[in-house]
Amino acid sequence: MAEDHERIEELLAGYALLSLEGEDAAEADRLLSEHVPGCARCRRTLADFQALSGDLALATAPADPPETMLPRIHRAMDEVPLEGHRPRRGALIAVAASAVALVAMGGLSLVMGNRLNDAQTRAGTALEIISAMRSSGSQAVPIAPEGDTPQESALIEVSAPQVRRLYIASENCPEPGPGHAYQLWLGSGGEWMPVGPMFRPEDGVVLLEVPVDVSRFDAIWISEEVEGTPVSEPSTEWHSWSGELS
Amino acid sequence: MESPAPCDRNTVVGEDDRLDLELHRGVSERDRAAFDELYRRYVRQAYGVALRVTSQDLIAQEVVQDAFLALWRAPEAFDPARGGFRSFFLSLVHHRAVDAVRREERLRRRTERAANLEPATGEDPAEDVVEDAYLRVRRKEVRAALGTLPQAQRQVLEMAYFGGMTQVRIAEQLGIPIGTVKTRTLAAMRKLRVTLQEE
Repeated sequence: MAEDHERIEELLAGYALLSLEGEDAAEADRLLSEHVPGCARCRRTLADFQALSGDLALATAPADPPETMLPRIHRAMDEVPLEGHRPRRGALIAVAASAVALVAMGGLSLVMGNRLNDAQTRAGTALEIISAMRSSGSQAVPIAPEGDTPQESALIEVSAPQVRRLYIASENCPEPGPGHAYQLWLGSGGEWMPVGPMFRPEDGVVLLEVPVDVSRFDAIWISEEVEGTPVSEPSTEWHSWSGELS
Repeated sequence: MESPAPCDRNTVVGEDDRLDLELHRGVSERDRAAFDELYRRYVRQAYGVALRVTSQDLIAQEVVQDAFLALWRAPEAFDPARGGFRSFFLSLVHHRAVDAVRREERLRRRTERAANLEPATGEDPAEDVVEDAYLRVRRKEVRAALGTLPQAQRQVLEMAYFGGMTQVRIAEQLGIPIGTVKTRTLAAMRKLRVTLQEE
């Protein structure tokens, strides 16, 4: 309906400008997960608004950076081998930036370090978690196994004020059943919202970065679902984990 | 300076979009010379927008450095099927600058500045001397498009984009309903979209 798309496009405009918060941001997250991927009009609108967001930078006057910037970048490039070694601090910021880019340009609401199958990305996400834990007011919340889910498979959620991201990590997450995958949910007042596409662990490792203001939610759930089947609430039939967000 | 003729503009922009793609392909193949050329092409604009949003030299430098390192580390984050490299990269810089501002909790101090933005459509003759032609052409188009917006629409757009303010804060700052902020923002984005696509 035209009315619906007027409202959706208002949210997409705010999303492209990074100016949403509260319920609007939650609604945009939901639309980006549920509606936009299947709506050609909204995909085109989002792409155009995000391109505009890049072009608006041209309205500012260019400025000369210090001459030391490129040598610093070169050193950082040299410090981090492309493969096989643990990246130093400089790389972590870069990895986080690439995640932001994926979110910004792709309309995704979830970045999955384990799906990217890239050692540096995974290491970067892990160290971003550590960085978030150092932030003032950070919290680390265990996401406890429910029912018959193996007790040793607890996940952890980390978030901090101002970061506007939450991270979820596990090193021994069981594989979902054949044709199944895991779905992340965030809850508020008993209402659950699926966040991002379904995911699978890689060698038991889960590293998720979710660009969302966690203060809007009071609970978190990860449930095993039939892959490719739309879900409206978390399933408790298979593996699942839940936790409270303070 | 007069605007270039349409044929000149199309030639300049088309060629430079293609060059961006070639350079990005080089970066994907770990070609440092290609990386350095992309740096040369975009660092001044990236630093300009980072400075405008953060108002902090050191934070702006960190934002730009991180953005270029992100490009080197994960060039696959740019998908040519989704748009041009320039928009992708400058959007990345802007996104990181806004994140940095909000992390540093300096938004409140910058509110006054956001409400007194320097004219975005003003000309700076010095820019043209050292700037690549394709950026100069597009800059004129973007500034001209901004200049066509009604003041009320342009104000909310600039407070969001250059001030890094959320719509809630813009409504508080201007003393208007948030619904009005949303309506004006969408109207501004739609008008810019049409104007710039016609260019």
